Amino acid sequence: MTTIRLENLVKSFGSFTALKTMDLEIGNGEFVALLGPSGCGKSTTMNMIAGMEAPTSGRILFDGRDMAGVPMGKRGVGFVFQNYAIFTHMTVRQNLAYGPKARGWPKAKVDAAVAKIADFLQLTPMLDQKSAKLSVNILQRLAIGRSAIVEPAIFLLDEPLSNVDAAFRAVMRTELKHLQREFRQTMVYVTHDQLEAMTMADRIAVMDHGVLQQVGTPIEVYNDPVNLFVARFIGAPGMNLVEGTLAETDRGLAVDLGAFGLSPPLPAALAGAARTAGAKEVVYGFRPEEVTLRTEGPGLRAAVGFVERIGARTIVHFGAADRALKIVAEPSTAVSVGETLSIEPVAASVRLFDKASGRAIKGAA
Amino acid sequence: MRRSLPFELFRYAMIALALALTLIPILWMASMAFKPIAEWSASGADLTWWPKAPTLDNFRYIFGEQTTALIATLDRTATKPILASLLAAVFGTLIAMSAGTAAAYGLSRFGSGQNLPLALTQLRLFPPMAVMIPVMIMWAFLGLIDSWWGLALIYGIVTLPFAFWLMKTFFDEMPKEIEEAALVEGCSRFRVFMKITLPMMRAPLASSAMFVFILNWSDYLIGLLLTTKEWVTIPVYMASLSSSMTGQLYGAKAALGLIAAIPPVILGIAIQKHLVRGLTFGALKQ
Repeated sequence: MTTIRLENLVKSFGSFTALKTMDLEIGNGEFVALLGPSGCGKSTTMNMIAGMEAPTSGRILFDGRDMAGVPMGKRGVGFVFQNYAIFTHMTVRQNLAYGPKARGWPKAKVDAAVAKIADFLQLTPMLDQKSAKLSVNILQRLAIGRSAIVEPAIFLLDEPLSNVDAAFRAVMRTELKHLQREFRQTMVYVTHDQLEAMTMADRIAVMDHGVLQQVGTPIEVYNDPVNLFVARFIGAPGMNLVEGTLAETDRGLAVDLGAFGLSPPLPAALAGAARTAGAKEVVYGFRPEEVTLRTEGPGLRAAVGFVERIGARTIVHFGAADRALKIVAEPSTAVSVGETLSIEPVAASVRLFDKASGRAIKGAA
Repeated sequence: MRRSLPFELFRYAMIALALALTLIPILWMASMAFKPIAEWSASGADLTWWPKAPTLDNFRYIFGEQTTALIATLDRTATKPILASLLAAVFGTLIAMSAGTAAAYGLSRFGSGQNLPLALTQLRLFPPMAVMIPVMIMWAFLGLIDSWWGLALIYGIVTLPFAFWLMKTFFDEMPKEIEEAALVEGCSRFRVFMKITLPMMRAPLASSAMFVFILNWSDYLIGLLLTTKEWVTIPVYMASLSSSMTGQLYGAKAALGLIAAIPPVILGIAIQKHLVRGLTFGALKQ
């Protein structure tokens, strides 16, 4: 139960800068996901919090205490690795008991802790099996158990679910959340899977190219991406982003979207913000889920490219290549390839970004 | 995937050829070990794979028993050379493996650059002959000539690069996260090394130790140059098995050779599982 504070954190490897000036505050008992594509600096950040790597500059504070020079064994952190890092020459029980024994707990306490965590993670039946023979799913469970058993104040997880199979991943998401609720640790969770971040985290820190892009609750980063990167990265499929030019019409400010025609007039607040910003070249964005699809009517005109029917929903792809749009529709939606339709984004879901800077143009809420 | 019949035939033919090249000399040696003196240098139709009159005389002879057929007496039996070879090879392997493993771990985890590892391989670049004169002078100065411990020391030094390079490759391939996981629990580096790293390295350690042992066990040159009488090793002793009356004592040599082959074979079988694992260590899913 500790707060973590990152101040002007920078990490370079030779001439390569893995992390550029990161500032982040993680509250006591908070579950924060560091989300981003490979090489965005999220694992580097995590390794510095754990003490495996020293920052090039900047500070890491636990409860206000500077961690510089504190070895990782003394930081009171638990760490779960992507490749489990299980001690394969030991049994499940020996793996679980490793941390408590290293801390010199009395035997009775070790046994009680092993029994408790094994029960919690359903590892009891294989306690005396050699860990080398276990399945990947069990190994990951064991890795989590081995770190959680000493109830560290800070729990760091580095892509713990990326090697397990899809069905088990869903189970583990629930269990991890449950685990955190049970022990109330401060959790930092590194992932490139937005589903994991969205479902488990209290807050998400989206990173790209060593730069922290946005920090916010899952709904905030989904609804109000601060820039094009976050808009594209969050959501499956990601936000539709179409380049265009602002154009005054008799019904108000709209965006000329070239081949797709003119957008519906922008909501007043957004139009006001766009005028204030003085932007001309913009990127018009809207969520694929928040549209009205009609054969005729106002909106963007586009021809259906192909249709993906995936049970609970149908994804309709329009246009081609860089001018492509995706729409998530009801499973029963009747559309045929080649047909030209009108796509009208729900007014409240429309987002504008400055094309040059990539930053969001925000209307007063 | 199913392979075609001609390919399979070719494959097995090649395997048979490789096995024959390896096994025929060994089988010939085994046969010779049980042949009486009359059959040693038989030729033509008398030359047989199976001894016509199998005997244990050759074994008796090298361990000092007089036999009617071999009247020439040996000035020493095979017992002491076998002991010398065992002591020198075992302790030489211990020296090479402990120093090599420690060096490999240090350089794999904390080393930077390629110079030091390469410098260690340079030890193998010299022809042994080129360094043996200075080694002889040093060993004489240290009073290590003709002693098993002197041999063990030089064996340890000569095979150190092998131990080092094999172990370095294995340490490089071991995910560092496993050690970090233990370090994060508050263990010291040394404890992690002893309790986690080494136990997980059992297979690579076993296969490296076996390579090193076989190198030491089969050495002839160093043994020849650094021993004179007391602690000659099996290969040196074997070379001396001849007499002015009978010439080369082929049967006695074969018998000794058969005995000399026992330790590597036993070791190989004992660590077979580890050996295969050790050789394919990098391919393991971690």
